[in-house]
Formats: sequence, C-alpha cells, structure tokens
Amino acid sequence: MAGEEPILKINNIEVKYHEVILVLKGVSIEVPKRSIVALLGANGAGKSTTLKAISGLLKHENGEVTDGSIEFMGERIDRLSAEKIAKMGIVQVIEGRRVFEHLTVEQNLKVGAHLRRDGRSIKEGLEMVYNYFPRLREKRNEIAGFVSGGEQQMTVVGRALMTNPKLILLDEPSMGLAPLLIHEIFNIITRLNREENISILLVEQNAKLALNVAPYAYVMENGRIVMDDTAERLRENPDIKDFYLGLTDVGGRKSFRDVKHYKRRKRWLT
Amino acid sequence: MELFLMTLTTGIMVGGIYALIALGWVLIYKCSGVLNLAMGELTLIGAYVSLSFYSMGIPFLLALLFSLIIGFILGILTERIFLDRLIGEPILTVIMVTVGLSFFFRGIVELIWGTDTRVFTPPVFPLEPIHIGPLIVGQVYLWSFVAAIILLCIFVVFFQYTRWGLAMQATADDEMAALSLGVSARFVYATAWAIAFMAAGVGGTLLGNINGLNISVGYLGLLVLPAVVLGGLNSVPGAIMGGIIIGVLQNLSGAYLDRYFPGGVKEIAPFVFMAVFLLFKPYGLWGWERIERV
Ligand SMILES: Nc1ncnc2c1ncn2[C@@H]1O[C@H](COP(=O)(O)OP(=O)(O)OP(=O)(O)O)[C@@H](O)[C@H]1O
Ligand SMILES: [Mg+2]
Repeated sequence: MAGEEPILKINNIEVKYHEVILVLKGVSIEVPKRSIVALLGANGAGKSTTLKAISGLLKHENGEVTDGSIEFMGERIDRLSAEKIAKMGIVQVIEGRRVFEHLTVEQNLKVGAHLRRDGRSIKEGLEMVYNYFPRLREKRNEIAGFVSGGEQQMTVVGRALMTNPKLILLDEPSMGLAPLLIHEIFNIITRLNREENISILLVEQNAKLALNVAPYAYVMENGRIVMDDTAERLRENPDIKDFYLGLTDVGGRKSFRDVKHYKRRKRWLT
Repeated sequence: MELFLMTLTTGIMVGGIYALIALGWVLIYKCSGVLNLAMGELTLIGAYVSLSFYSMGIPFLLALLFSLIIGFILGILTERIFLDRLIGEPILTVIMVTVGLSFFFRGIVELIWGTDTRVFTPPVFPLEPIHIGPLIVGQVYLWSFVAAIILLCIFVVFFQYTRWGLAMQATADDEMAALSLGVSARFVYATAWAIAFMAAGVGGTLLGNINGLNISVGYLGLLVLPAVVLGGLNSVPGAIMGGIIIGVLQNLSGAYLDRYFPGGVKEIAPFVFMAVFLLFKPYGLWGWERIERV
C-alpha cells in the first residue's frame, strides 16, 4: 500500500460521548484511494462511532473527537461540521436503512442531490442510480416507508450515490436482509468501487461477507483496533475463524438447529 | 337552513385563513420539534406591517408582498437570535422561550402601533356581498379564502418540488440522515420560521380586513392551536383540514349557541371540541404514527 497517499487517514483518535463516556480509545485506520476497507467487530465495539467521527455526525449526538486527528485527502476534518464534510465528498450510510419514510423513493434520491445545484446533473445522477439499481426505477414513485427492506437499503445507498461521493461510509448494509439480496447489494457495492472509483469503508458484523469484497480489514473490540491485515490472512487467522466467521455465518446456510443453539447461547449470555 | 348554509360557508372561508396560520405552526413543529406559542403574535406583526404599508398609499398586493418579505427576514432573525442557541436544550425550555417571545413581540406591537383598533382604509375588498346561488357571502371572506388557498398551494408546491422544500421534509422525517447528505439543519429551521412568519402575516392581514386590527387578532392566531392538534401536530393536510373545521365550528357555535351562552362561546367552542376530540383520537386526524412494516 506504499506510494500513493491514502484518501482517509485516522490517527489515533479518542471519542467521548457527553464529555465523559469514552468510547474510542485510540483508533487508527487508513483507507487507500479507490479501495474497499472493512471494519469488523462485535456489537458495541465502536464501529458506528468511528464512522460518525469521520462524517461529523458525532457532534449531532453530543459526541466529540477529543484526541488524535482525521485527515481526508490531506486535509484535517475532525473539527468540521457534518455539512462541510459532506461537501468535501464523504457520505455516511447510517445503519438501519434510514429512508425518509414519508417521501417517495425518487424524492429520497433527490434529497441526496441536495448539494448538487444544477438540474441536469441531478437527472444524470438519477439515471446512474437507476442503472445500478433497476428495481428503484420501478419503485420511484412509491412512498419509501412502504417499499421492502431490500429496496429501502438500495434507496439509501442510491441516495448516498447522488451526493457524488469520493468516499462512502457504509454501516452494516446486510443487516436483516435475505442472503440473495445481500449478494445483490454487495455486488453493486463492488461495482461502484470499480466503475465509479469510489473508496468505501465498510462496517460489517458479517465478517465472511465483508472479507469477500474488501481486500483489507480492521478488527475492532472495545473501542480499540485489535488486528488489521489483508482479507486472505484474516480468513486464515484462528481467532477470526472462531469469533467472527464461526458466529455470524449468515452467508452460508444455517440449519434450524444452529439457530436454536445460537439463541440458547444468547440467553445464557444475558 | 339558509342561516346554517351561510354560517357554514363563512366558517369554511375563515377556516382557510386559520389553515394558513396552522401550516406555519405545523412546519416549525415538524422540522424542529418546537411548539411555537408565539404564533398569535407572528400573525399580529405581519398584519400590522401590511396595514402600515397600505396606509401609506401603497397598493394592497404590494403591501402584502412587503409584509411577506419582512416576515421572511424576521423569521430568519428570530430563529438565529433566539432559537439557534437552544438547539439541544430540553424541549420545555424552548417552549418557554416561545412564550417569552410572544410577550416580547406583543410589547413591541403595542409600542409601535398602540392598542386602538385600526382598519384598512379605504377598505381593500368591496363591501357589497356577492350572491352565489342562494348564498350571500361577504367579499372579504371570499377573497380571503381565495388568497389563503393560493398561498397554501404555493407552499405545497414548494415542499414537493423544490430543493429546500424536500430538504425540509427530509429533516422532519430523519434529521440525522438529512445531515449525512449535507443538508444544513440550521438553515432548515430558519426557513421554517421564515415561512411560518410569512404565512401568519398573510393570515393576520386577511383577519384584519375582516374585523379590523387590534391585539385580539393575536388571540385569533392562537386559535390555530386546536386546529393543528386536531389535524395531528405534524401533518400539513391535517393542519389545513383542522383550520377549516375550527373555522366552521367557531361560526356555527357563534350562530347557534350564542343565544344560550352569551359572551365568548365562539372563542371557547374550538378548545372544548379539541379537548373532547382528543379523548377519542389522541394523535389527531392525520398525526404521524410511525410507518410500521410487517
Ligand atoms: N449517543 C451515544 N451516547 C452515549 N453512548 C453511546 C452513544 N452511541 C453509542 N454509544 C456507546 O458507544 C459504544 C459503541 O457504540 P457503536 O454504536 O459505535 O457500536 P457498534 O460497533 O456500531 O455496534 P453495533 O454493531 O451494535 O452497531 C456502545 O457502548 C454504545 O453504548
Ligand atoms: Mg453500529
């Protein structure tokens, strides 16, 4: 990865919520230009917080980067407002398919183009999104709150695409979707990266899936990066096999007994 | 029967004006979650501003346009000066600030324009009533209704088709997601206040044309509270329907109940109705219940 400067560089950041709750305790991540990097970790590890620190949405939740720095294309952004950061070409797709539920699918996409001023490039943007997600063209005039979960996920990814981003921060796009749909969406994500030259920082709990599309990944635990390596080597790593690939094998077929087993275990844990 | 139909028509027409004011109110609530108790005073200010321009001999439509422009500026200033610093404070604090604002605005109005009733002279709308079939309608009512409807349509088009209109709806739906796309929430709040000021100003001007203008028009502005609660706090169509229902109720109770309860039935009836109605439908007619998918 030597040579070209990374598009995003997080240097040892510390993040606090409400001035006292320390959530990130020294996180460093680099995203090379035009690449996909995955960020893995269990619930509550601090993955979403990392993304919000980059996009500036953290301030909106009364959180703050209290130490370290974040650089985007060589410029420091950790003190900028979410609006400025969006203008520079970073867009976060928040976890949980947050469509504007009372707007139509196409209106959702148009809000994505908020920072594009002229009408023509909005049209071109819509055309591009509909090319990647033909299903959205069919649903364009439907209220986003009522389309299927997969279509909602496509809507929020398409909406992010409308901002004409250089870097997309994707938070758990697979959450709660059927395997076939996940496959479709991840295919499109890979294509976006290759064809539109968009860099992607992908947060996933589904490690198997993430390691398939991202050549490089970081593993996070308890607000710290505990490991980072190429996907190939991570796949072979015994800890990863145990904790991540074993536990969240959503990509493969899960038998009924496995599910029950998983549930039982969860009950013990709580 | 004749009396009933006429009161009904007048009610609907006055209701159109309430709908306009209610729209401004709903907008602020939807976008920023603030219950704006100074709405009545916004109505007053707009009304006095256009009355002042009109009294200088400026044509009515132009006077109205000036009051729209001034309303826009005042709206932005109010949000910037008083409300911006309160973002993130407990909602009750913000509501109390709007109460403070209402006293502040009222004081300013009394200081500048005094407390005497003023009328638009010469009258803006012809005095002789119009006959529509069997109905006789005052022209003030008719034209006010038309003006209110035109403005409501303009607002609806603005929300559905313009960049900032969509951004406002998006912010109302999911502020965080809107922020992630580069929408400036602060600008959205400011625009909401600007539009509320403008809508209330036109509403106040029209009300002032009907009964003359004094501080009590401000109380009429507060009548939109039952209207918006009826419509369901965050629904624009709800606000419009609510406004019209309140207008009708007010006029019907004025015509039929005033004999039995002389005095202020007209003013109280909408509130009584609101209270009873909420017992049965706590979210109003079209209040958002979150969209739940199965
Ligand atoms: N707004 C907030 N205020 C206070 N604490 C918060 C806030 N948001 C998150 N946290 C805490 O920060 C920690 C990390 O949360 P975060 O959402 O970043 O985890 P995550 O890795 O994305 O988890 P998940 O996989 O469940 O989405 C958690 O312990 C959470 O309780
Ligand atoms: Mg998360």
